[in-house]
Amino acid sequence: MSLIETKNLSKEYSSRFSKQKVNALNDFTFTANEGEIFGLLGPNGAGKTTLIKILLAITFQTSGSAKIFGMDVKSHKWKNKVGYLPENHKFPNYLTGEQVLSYYGRLSGLKNAGELNKKIDEYLETMGLTKWRKTKIKKYSKGMMQKLGLAQSMLSNPDLIFLDEPTDGVDPIGRKEIRDILTNLRAKGKTIFLNSHLLSEVEMICDRVAILNKGDLIKEGSVDDLTRKFLHLTKKQVLVKMKYKPNPERRILIKLLMFYVPIKLI
Amino acid sequence: MLTIIKNTFREALAKKIFIGYYIFYAIVVILMLFAVNLDTVEGVISMTDVKQSVNLVEKGFLDISWALIVFFSLVSTASFIPSMLEKGTIDLLISKPVSRFTILLSKYLGAVLFMFLSMVFLLGSIWLILSAKSGYWDFQFLIAIPLITLAFAVMYSINVFIGLTTQSTIISILVNFFLIFVLCPILSIREGLIFTFVKNTGVQFVFNFLYWVFPKPGEIKDITSSILVGKKIDFWSTSINMEAGDFTASWMALITSLIFCIALFSYSTYYFSKKDY
Repeated sequence: MSLIETKNLSKEYSSRFSKQKVNALNDFTFTANEGEIFGLLGPNGAGKTTLIKILLAITFQTSGSAKIFGMDVKSHKWKNKVGYLPENHKFPNYLTGEQVLSYYGRLSGLKNAGELNKKIDEYLETMGLTKWRKTKIKKYSKGMMQKLGLAQSMLSNPDLIFLDEPTDGVDPIGRKEIRDILTNLRAKGKTIFLNSHLLSEVEMICDRVAILNKGDLIKEGSVDDLTRKFLHLTKKQVLVKMKYKPNPERRILIKLLMFYVPIKLI
Repeated sequence: MLTIIKNTFREALAKKIFIGYYIFYAIVVILMLFAVNLDTVEGVISMTDVKQSVNLVEKGFLDISWALIVFFSLVSTASFIPSMLEKGTIDLLISKPVSRFTILLSKYLGAVLFMFLSMVFLLGSIWLILSAKSGYWDFQFLIAIPLITLAFAVMYSINVFIGLTTQSTIISILVNFFLIFVLCPILSIREGLIFTFVKNTGVQFVFNFLYWVFPKPGEIKDITSSILVGKKIDFWSTSINMEAGDFTASWMALITSLIFCIALFSYSTYYFSKKDY
């Protein structure tokens, strides 16, 4: 079953004072299925965060359609089944870790105090933040804030979770812990929509990946499918392909893949 | 909605400026406790004189402090909307199963409720002290609590609008300062002062139009003072007799201020619901 469907989704930003327009997304069409981890790759300004924001109705599309759980994204009825961790998220710094989870848990629809407290205990334990629960979050490190944000996104047991740079600022051990959590969530049938600039992270846990550039969908498919074409190439062959100016799609794909595909040495 | 209102309270209490206000309010209350002497023991002052004295103190307090209380409350709450709209905060709020209208209304009501409770503390304490000291329990003074809260609520709708459109705390404060201390007072005395010198009917029309459109926090204070001293309040229009130093308040000033508040908040809600974040 397709959890997320977009059809010819476009977003154009324009300035009130100038005629300059920016196409953040161009006719973006894709689907994300239930029970998979879907990755978004692309350079800065590719449209990854814009796509997530349109899907969450934080930003509105210029044209095209987007559906989550079969419902239009503009209705907020499906939002109790969704968790979200924005990039550079900011929690009210006068709250403690426990209060942050309580606040966002209630906003997510968890009204039963007993159930909410139980989940808070569980996720603080999972993230290793139990002894910091009564500490004001302004004293938290970046990694701790990221873990708290991740806990917040999972608190209401959502079926679909959007994560925008979830391992940003987290140490390697913390990243491994987060990857394990995401893999466990997938095993439970949850769907995760992951936006990350760390190609190694995406390769390790994503089932499918979409590569974006300047608002366009360049390639979509499984990580294996995307890399298989290039695994047999030598470094020299890849450089030769770039030297003879392959079409823009191949150029971007090659540049991205060069960072992590184990290309054979000459 | 209650979750966001509760968080707005926490936000207010976390701001040191509110602690400063409460300390200031407490000092005012303590001064009232020791400075005011209204003694009816042994027939020193007759009850009628006590009643008049109490009304005088109450009216005097409101006349001096009304604008300041409303303005400083607006200053301390001016950052609520801009801080809610910060990147990383607003994204998370809107992603929750709560409508944008509920988010904005909850923030607004949270600030108004906080103001109401602050006034219960300040004006309620002053009323208790005056009543205990004088023996005259003037329950009409308590009407000042909801009316000053109403004046705040009307002006806070401007904070909400400016916060949404500019995301600037400073602009909110400056606009409110201009309205409370400059424009609204000038508009309220336009007939007695400006129209004496300006005879052009077109200009007079513009002043009258601005008067009826903009909120009237000063007139809400006049309504409160009139209730305290048992003075008649006209329905349609205020009038000021500059020579006698007398004024007549009007209910229409309150009604038009409320209409302004509702209209501006409605537009703010529409704006917020359509904006990309």
